[in-house]
Formats: sequence, C-alpha cells, structure tokens
Amino acid sequence: MITEVIGKPAFAYINVDLEPGESVIAESDAMSSMSTELEMAASFNGGFFSGLAKKFFGGESLFVNTFTNTASSPQRVTLVQATPGDVVEIDLDNDSICLQPGAYICSTPGLKLGVRWAGFASFIGREGLFKLEVSGTGRLWYGAYGGLLEKEIDGEYIIDTSHLVSYEPQLTLKTQLAGGLFSSFFSGEGLVTRVEGKGKVVIQTRSMSGLSSWANGKI
Amino acid sequence: MDIEILHGPGSAAARVQLESGECLTAEGGAMISMSGDMDITTTTMKKGKGGILKAMKRMLAGESFLINHFTPGSRGGEVLLATSLPGDMMVYELDNENLIVQGGSYVACEESIDIDMSWQGFKSVLADNSVFWLSLKGRGKCVVNAFGAIYPVEVDGEYIVDTGHIVAFNETLDFKLTKAGGSWATAIFGGEGLVCRFQGKGTVWCQSHNASSFGSTLGPKLKTR
Repeated sequence: MITEVIGKPAFAYINVDLEPGESVIAESDAMSSMSTELEMAASFNGGFFSGLAKKFFGGESLFVNTFTNTASSPQRVTLVQATPGDVVEIDLDNDSICLQPGAYICSTPGLKLGVRWAGFASFIGREGLFKLEVSGTGRLWYGAYGGLLEKEIDGEYIIDTSHLVSYEPQLTLKTQLAGGLFSSFFSGEGLVTRVEGKGKVVIQTRSMSGLSSWANGKI
Repeated sequence: MDIEILHGPGSAAARVQLESGECLTAEGGAMISMSGDMDITTTTMKKGKGGILKAMKRMLAGESFLINHFTPGSRGGEVLLATSLPGDMMVYELDNENLIVQGGSYVACEESIDIDMSWQGFKSVLADNSVFWLSLKGRGKCVVNAFGAIYPVEVDGEYIVDTGHIVAFNETLDFKLTKAGGSWATAIFGGEGLVCRFQGKGTVWCQSHNASSFGSTLGPKLKTR
C-alpha cells in the first residue's frame, strides 16, 4: 500500500494506492474519487451496537465504507474529511490513540474503533461522555479544521476545549475554568481542558465552533 | 488575453490582463478589483445572444442570473477575479472543443466561448447535490474554481468521482450517475449516495473537498435567523 497526504496544511487529502487484495476503511462520505476496479461495501462501524454507540456517543457515523482491491493491479482511492484543514498520518503498533469526535478519516483493517467512557469532565468540556479510541496495529489518518500542532506533554498542559484533536490514552483530561471566575467569563476562554500525564497531544489551530460562533454573530 | 493565478492553492485569485478590444465574460460577483477605465456591461447571456431562457437555465445551474462583460479602455487593463469559498483556480485553454464545468465552478472565460447549460444537466437532476453542468464551447481561455485543491484524473476506461467533487471534464468523457458500491444499501448507508462513473478517454478535474459536506458540518452549528 502506498499512501500520500497532499495539499497540507490547508486542504489536505489522502491518496491511497491499494495493492491487489488490500483494503482501507473510511468514514462515511470520505471518498472523493476512486478507480472502478475497487469494491466498496458499507458496514456498521464495528458491529451494530458498537456502531450505534459510536454514532450517538462518539460523534462518528453509524456506517463505514471498506474499499477493497479485487483487481490484479494497484488501484487508487482518494479520501478527504468534510472540512478544510490538516491531516495526520500515524502508524500504531499494538497501541491506541483517542480521537475527538469527527476527527477519524480512514484506517487500515488492522485497527479497531471503539468507544470508551470518558467521564463527566469530558462531557462538560463539550467532548462528549464517551471517547473514541482507535487501537491495534496499522495506519490511521485523522484530521480537523485548521492546522495541526503536535505537543509532547510531561506534567500538565492546558488546551482550549474545542482545539483538542487527539491524545494518547494514558493522559487524563479534566475540564476547568480558564482562570478565576471573572477572567474565565470575560477573557473569552471560558472552559479549558487540563491534560495531565506524559504523552502526546495534537491541537488544531482553528475550530469549527469558533467559526460558527463568528458566523452566528453575523446572522 | 493573459490570465495568471495568484495566491493559489489556498485562496486563489485570477488576474486577467486585457488588451484593448478584448472582452472578458465573468460570473456576476466574481470581480474583486479592476482598472479604472474598465467598462462593465451586465447582460443575461453572451452579448447579443440568447436571453432570458438561457439565463434561467444558467440560474438553475447554480450560477448567477447575470453575467458581466469587461471591456478595457484604449490602453488595455486588468481584472482580478475570485470567489467566496477558499480554494484553488485553474486556467484551461479550449481549442475548438467542449469542456463541461460543474455549475458552481465556473468563474470566467473569453468572450469567444459560448456558455450553455449542458444536456448533461438534465441527466443530473436526480443527483443529491443538485449538480448541474455548463458547457463551454469554442476557442479561448476559461477560468474555473474549486473548494480546496484541484487534481486531474486521466481517465482511460472508467473512473468514479463523487458528485460533490467534480470541477470540470472533457466532453470526450461520458458519465453515468450510479450508486456507489455494489448495492443500494452500500450507497445509502455508506453515505456516498450517487457517484459519477466516467467512461471513455479524457481528463476529469476533481476538487479535493466537498463544499456541501462542509456546509452540512457547519450548518447545524449556526443559529436560525
């Protein structure tokens, strides 16, 4: 499988060249173009109940599409997320990563998507009660609106609630006020997420909620 | 006529240099700046041709009802064109051929090019994104825009492109709207719905991002007026 992320950072999209017999799984509506030799099949996002849980609690679609190369030569599928922005490609080796709802784009079949209880702190932080966890061995692509920054955390770090894209599962998240009561409400920061532990997080430089609240002010 | 794409691919604009006597036709609202002595005529269709009916057809195609014709003064002049969504633009030179352009992607063309709603349009009424097509015919340059990057796919045989990702294609290609995947269940539940299956030999230019997918992500977050 040869893959390439093109158009970074503003309009990143993914070209996946599948060898015969190989397949790639993508979120619903991620395909922008593909070879007719590829077979495409929709299935529940990890089983019916698990799919339902992911849709309602993980903010992901109920169905995913699997693209399989049934031909005898390499074939291409081009995949993209719904919003403009950057895409990250990572290889997991019997490992896992937690994603913000909606960040998942596609992955190789060795990876499993699951939902896990994230705690009430995450709910208050507008991240949902459950978190989406991708685990196993394979390659994963995820993205968000805006540019993506990687940050190694050792100790404590504070991130605006709507800007956290992914984090390693050993990190703990807590939601809190940005400062004192006064500055939290008047600084425009409001609630923030406090990340504790040792590991990597990915932060998006723009957020859809920022864009929509700006646009709402103009309506 | 000299056309240059500036600030691509993120927020592209097209700079069109016009010699005296030349005329540029552009979608209404596309002009962002121009020479002081540029003359604009607004018509429903190509100067002296067509009329209300053609304009109505173009409006159905997602283009504005009116198009503008830019004519420079005696020393020539320039026009800068852009659209509302971020993304890239492309200049294509037609040599007595037809280019089919997705309704919302048309920006401008030389006056010598004839714009009409393509017969393909009627075939695509069923498409969920209400895709319509303009047919550009003749000889000269035209400018199209995209939401995101533009990538060409050389088709020799068959290729599938999602309806929301097509910018333009050579008329040598035939296309069919078909369900995505092997079954209707896959097409509907997989979220891809209808896709375009291109057949023949030619180029289809795709946009990396789907404006209506972005719209349906942003839409629910907006308050009602």
